[in-house]
Amino acid sequence: MSPARALAAAALAALAIAPWVAARYQLSLLTDLLIYGLFALSLDLIMGYTGMVSFGHAAYFGLGAYASALVLIHFAQPIPVALLAGALLAGAVALPIGWFSTRATGIYFAMLTLAFAQLLYTVAYKWRDLTGGSDGIAGVPKTELFWGGPSLASPHAFYFLVAVCVVGSLGLCRVIVRSPFGRALEAIRENERRFTSLGRDPRPFKLVVFVIAAVFAGLAGALFAPFRGFASPEVMFWVFSGQGLMMVIMGGIGTLVGPILGAMVFILIQEVLSSYTEHWMIFTGAVFVLMVIFLPGGLVGTARRLRARA
Amino acid sequence: MVEQLLNALTLAGLLFLVSAGLSLVFGILRVVNFAHGVFYMLGAYLGFTTVALSGAFWPALVAVPLVVGTLGALIESSTLRFIYRRPPIYQLLLTFGLALILEEGIRIFYGPTAKGIDPPAYLEGALRLGSLQYPRYRLFVVVLGLVVAAAVWLFLRRTRAGLVIRAVAQNSEMADCLGADVARVRTLVFGAACALAGLGGVAAAPMTTAYLGMGIGVIVDAFVVVVIGGLGSIGGSMAGSLIVGAAQTWGAFYLPETAMVIMYAVMGAILIFRPWGLFGEPE
Amino acid sequence: MTPLLETRGLGRAFGALQAVAGVDLAVEPGELRAVIGPNGAGKTTLFHLISGLLAPTSGCVLFRGDDVTALPAPARCRRGISRTFQITSIFPELSVLENVRIAVQLRAGGNFRLIGGRTLLETSERSAHDSLAALGLDDLAAQPAATLPHGDQRRLEIAMAIAQEPALLLLDEPTQGLSPEDTVATVAVIRRIARERALTIILVEHDMDVVFDLADRISVLHFGRLIADGTPALIRANADVQAAYLGDAG
Repeated sequence: MSPARALAAAALAALAIAPWVAARYQLSLLTDLLIYGLFALSLDLIMGYTGMVSFGHAAYFGLGAYASALVLIHFAQPIPVALLAGALLAGAVALPIGWFSTRATGIYFAMLTLAFAQLLYTVAYKWRDLTGGSDGIAGVPKTELFWGGPSLASPHAFYFLVAVCVVGSLGLCRVIVRSPFGRALEAIRENERRFTSLGRDPRPFKLVVFVIAAVFAGLAGALFAPFRGFASPEVMFWVFSGQGLMMVIMGGIGTLVGPILGAMVFILIQEVLSSYTEHWMIFTGAVFVLMVIFLPGGLVGTARRLRARA
Repeated sequence: MVEQLLNALTLAGLLFLVSAGLSLVFGILRVVNFAHGVFYMLGAYLGFTTVALSGAFWPALVAVPLVVGTLGALIESSTLRFIYRRPPIYQLLLTFGLALILEEGIRIFYGPTAKGIDPPAYLEGALRLGSLQYPRYRLFVVVLGLVVAAAVWLFLRRTRAGLVIRAVAQNSEMADCLGADVARVRTLVFGAACALAGLGGVAAAPMTTAYLGMGIGVIVDAFVVVVIGGLGSIGGSMAGSLIVGAAQTWGAFYLPETAMVIMYAVMGAILIFRPWGLFGEPE
Repeated sequence: MTPLLETRGLGRAFGALQAVAGVDLAVEPGELRAVIGPNGAGKTTLFHLISGLLAPTSGCVLFRGDDVTALPAPARCRRGISRTFQITSIFPELSVLENVRIAVQLRAGGNFRLIGGRTLLETSERSAHDSLAALGLDDLAAQPAATLPHGDQRRLEIAMAIAQEPALLLLDEPTQGLSPEDTVATVAVIRRIARERALTIILVEHDMDVVFDLADRISVLHFGRLIADGTPALIRANADVQAAYLGDAG
């Protein structure tokens, strides 16, 4: 068995037995880490594989969270229904936004995504009746697995739901990335002009991957709402989009599993540093800047490079 | 009506101060400085400090741009210069990271509450313009915007240094071969752009107070301006500032809820149909 | 026989500058046509007009008898016009094999297959290996394209173009920057693939040895206009051509 496969098997095993070995607080933290990991993973699809930097990805996380929160509070549906609602709303909104944004490239694309995300943030902030305004929506319950099914209220149960969703999403993303579609994305990233002159318009590809990424981000948000019990505008704010970018870079852009790790490292740094100072953001920012300059491949990227040299 | 026009000009003046720098940095360094808005914010906060220390407004107007500009130059030469050759994604990310650091730094140093500055005594109150009473300070901002616009234009078009800068913008390798110190030009331009943004912040502070979140608000607006006007074109920044200033002023008055949507729609339309802006050049 | 490619009165102006004007070309199937001319004569612009990257301001382009003037580059590519670029344009981080394989895939279709697609990937890979082998690049298949020396990158460009099984191949200065040995090798390769794949080729070249070695016919551009068109022998003797190259041409 190759080292990579062994590592993957070990990680899966660790995830599987976590509820029985980890303390309550640690399990809760791990669930949190996985949710952010899914968010970062979704961002890697557009960033790492297609070369599109989005400054507004948090908007889809937020849409997922709000949709999920509303479905759970007002309709008391099983969690998977809320997840579906979150993913679908995120995808549906991403469609027109993506259509406009992918007409542009590079910084123009980035700024368009930022502008749209800020627009959505403002809507969430101001539409008190629907979203609770700056207070957000609180008291989001963890309901059941399916109608009349087992409750997901226990930390163990919800952890498994999240783990299954995240691992499943990772698997699905890997399949997508290796498909003919995924290969086309990488070619777009490498040289869009050449792609065009080889006979295809890159924009439909970019739109499709943009929507897929939004769907996964929406799924992450839809898990977030019942897990934390609330949805608020902060998760749609540009700072969160930026943190997503940092997670992807730190973990390893274009590696899928790297950003998940990057998210974990990022949140763990936050946890550790925030017990010393409430200004952990500066240190993380500094680490990020240093990594952009010196270690652009992130953790996984650098590890792979070192292993290739050995 | 005249009042609205003056409001639009005031806003346009501030927008120009921020977007001119942004446009220059793109035109010459081919980098979009995401942290540009934070330099604006920094200008406002440092203005607050300078006024508090010196008791007067004018020192702030002079000192703060210098400080902010120097800081910008230092940051460029210690971080940005290493990644010019990389794909643009890294420059975007780097300036983004810098924006987060600076924003957090300001939050640490100044705390979460907004800081107000009083304008100098002779700029307080209103001036009679016919039947209209208009705040003197806002008129000052309009004049400041025009003066700076003229100064930047003249500098770039009429001075030797301006010529060098434009040469580097057009073809940095050639300019390098011809003896221009490209690295230094880049550092200076970046610093100057930050100084302009800082000046904008100082000028804005008496009207809007210095508050966290100023940075992100202005960067999106500034970006709309440079998209409309064309990245790299000072004339475009002027035109764009006027257009955006007018649109926001009248939009806020007549259609408050949809003003922002209209802005984004305009920007979106330009990006789709004429991405190089009104005054820029197609690449 | 209908010419494979025809241009009638083809022209392109950039403001006041007429880069290409009134060009009438007729290239027969199976022909190897060279387009030559002093610097700035409009050769690359002509290629952009034929391949669809630029729209003409006058005249039209006919491919296989159909008017394709209104079609953008991707559409013309799908009809069977492939090209290489003067400045090497490849996919740097992708492997040499993947560079060519993606060219096959983009032409063949199935590009929106998100799940599976293994057969598609395998067939396109095999086809890519063939094209690489035709250019002698197959043993470099696994390397990232960016690590290849310049000469091999130029050949990779050609491999990508022929992998799309075009009817018409536009080669923009294929020997640019190549050493004499590489040039000879590339010329041999071009001659071989033209014969093996029954390709029609239009070649822009500065190297006159290459031109006279390969071309069936030569078209000469000068200041955007066609000043001569004929067999190599005729062109060599043509006074206008000599004047253009050696005379007071700018």
